[in-house]
Amino acid sequence: MAETILHIENLSKAFVRSIKTARKKDAIEKISLLNHLDLTVEKGKITALIGGNGSGKTTLFNIINGFLDADQGSIKFINGRIHELLGKKPDTIARLGLGRSFQDNHIFDELSILENMLVAGKETFGETPFVSLFSPGRNRKIEKQKTERAKTIIENIFGSGNYFWQHKAEKAKNLSHGQRRILGLLRIFMADFKLVLLDEPTTGVNPEFFQSITDILNRMVNENKMSVFLIEHNMGFVKQVAHNCHFIHDGCIRASGTPAEVIDNPLVRNTYLGF
Amino acid sequence: MNYLLHILIMVNIYIILTVSANLIVGLANLLSLGQAAFYGIGAYITAWALMTLGLTLFPALLLSILITASIGFIIGIISLRLKDDYFILATLGFQIIIYTVLYNWISVTRGPYGIPGIPSPKLFGLVEIDGILPFFLLSSILAIAVIVIFRNLIYSPFGRALKAMRDDSIALLSLGRNITKLKTQAFTIASGFSAVSGFLFAAYITYIDPTSFNLDEAIFIISAVMIGGTGNIKGPLIGAAFVVILPEMLRFVGMPDNIAANMRMIIYGLILIVLMMFRRQGLAGDYKF
Repeated sequence: MAETILHIENLSKAFVRSIKTARKKDAIEKISLLNHLDLTVEKGKITALIGGNGSGKTTLFNIINGFLDADQGSIKFINGRIHELLGKKPDTIARLGLGRSFQDNHIFDELSILENMLVAGKETFGETPFVSLFSPGRNRKIEKQKTERAKTIIENIFGSGNYFWQHKAEKAKNLSHGQRRILGLLRIFMADFKLVLLDEPTTGVNPEFFQSITDILNRMVNENKMSVFLIEHNMGFVKQVAHNCHFIHDGCIRASGTPAEVIDNPLVRNTYLGF
Repeated sequence: MNYLLHILIMVNIYIILTVSANLIVGLANLLSLGQAAFYGIGAYITAWALMTLGLTLFPALLLSILITASIGFIIGIISLRLKDDYFILATLGFQIIIYTVLYNWISVTRGPYGIPGIPSPKLFGLVEIDGILPFFLLSSILAIAVIVIFRNLIYSPFGRALKAMRDDSIALLSLGRNITKLKTQAFTIASGFSAVSGFLFAAYITYIDPTSFNLDEAIFIISAVMIGGTGNIKGPLIGAAFVVILPEMLRFVGMPDNIAANMRMIIYGLILIVLMMFRRQGLAGDYKF
């Protein structure tokens, strides 16, 4: 039995919306999105979450990293100690070692490529105003270490003389969608997370970047000892990179196993893949 | 000559105000309408420190900065819990409250009569800073010190985190940064340094009354920041110089004073509209509003 890094139990989430009715009083409609969901993510593995649009995949990610509250259940993050994540704020959860990437990238547009990397660095000591003012020597040393680390990370993946390092002073808003996606993944290395949630890493990205993204994911797991939990629609990509796979439907996990097993599951074929 | 020095002293005072307001308005993207209140608090604390406590220059300045920064910290903690427009309203409310208190608490502030006869500050209890040239030197030294401090802040990791927060606070949260803490730090620092302007104003003019620190003044400071531009250090410098020197220029074109005062406001308004249409980052700024 492999070690667990994330354990979700009995998680439920419903959105409430009020509908205008002919009578004065508004009716309230409850849309149950996650329904007593149980799920486990193994340590040191790439786990994929698949499911149709609107099945609650991104909502689940938003609950895990604290952007949304859940109605009930528990999410345990096991990183040396066991942390209950429900009720914690997003920045607290990130500091525990759980990071994420976003479907719409969320890159810092006005910062340069290098600054985007540096701002993600785990060491926040230099970010207090007093240190910035009164300890410039120590500050410069930390900055230098961070810059070195950013360089190592980028060169490990793309080799020396690569696009990102050559254009490190370029503002991130000038990058293409695929480059921004990759920058969003690269900064995760800076923050030294233990578990990362990746929301559709390949969606909307030019296929020429697929190989880079695959490399990055493998490196996260094999060399940086991270665990990866990703949402993905591209089944070929899931088969290629993921060790485990979960299928979400009607608010809970309906099939689990290796990607091949889950894709062959009749329920998955009928309700999601459609062949 | 004295006239020129007087204008330069006023430029220095406004440079300190706009450079510190730039940290919250420009970098942290928090539109605070309460900066004149902090300016006023600084000035009144200075009057109290110089007249009643009889402090010398640096203790009075430090006391003024510390008390104003503490008030800024408390106001920051309360108002920064509010988002966007609600934060602006909270700082507006604070500005009006401070003005009302200064105006009506007559036993302490002398209300609309103001506080006359503020003594000149003494450097280490020895040299009295009196007369226009010493004040020009003092204000220039303080303005340069404030510029250096804020330049270091803007280009430090702290400034970088603020810029990142301005771009995308969700992403910064997901990287484990405490957004509220960052905002509170920026707000406290900017408020504290507004007190330096208050100190210079009170000690130089030797008379303060609440009307120098009302909402018009707060809007004036924000206009200076927006006209100059935000995100770097030269923007607020140009903005401050511009809004102080412009009305003086109007005198030289031979406009009578009563028309010039109104003309000034019309010109500021026009400049803001033109900038918003054609140059949204201000005269020398990095960021568009």
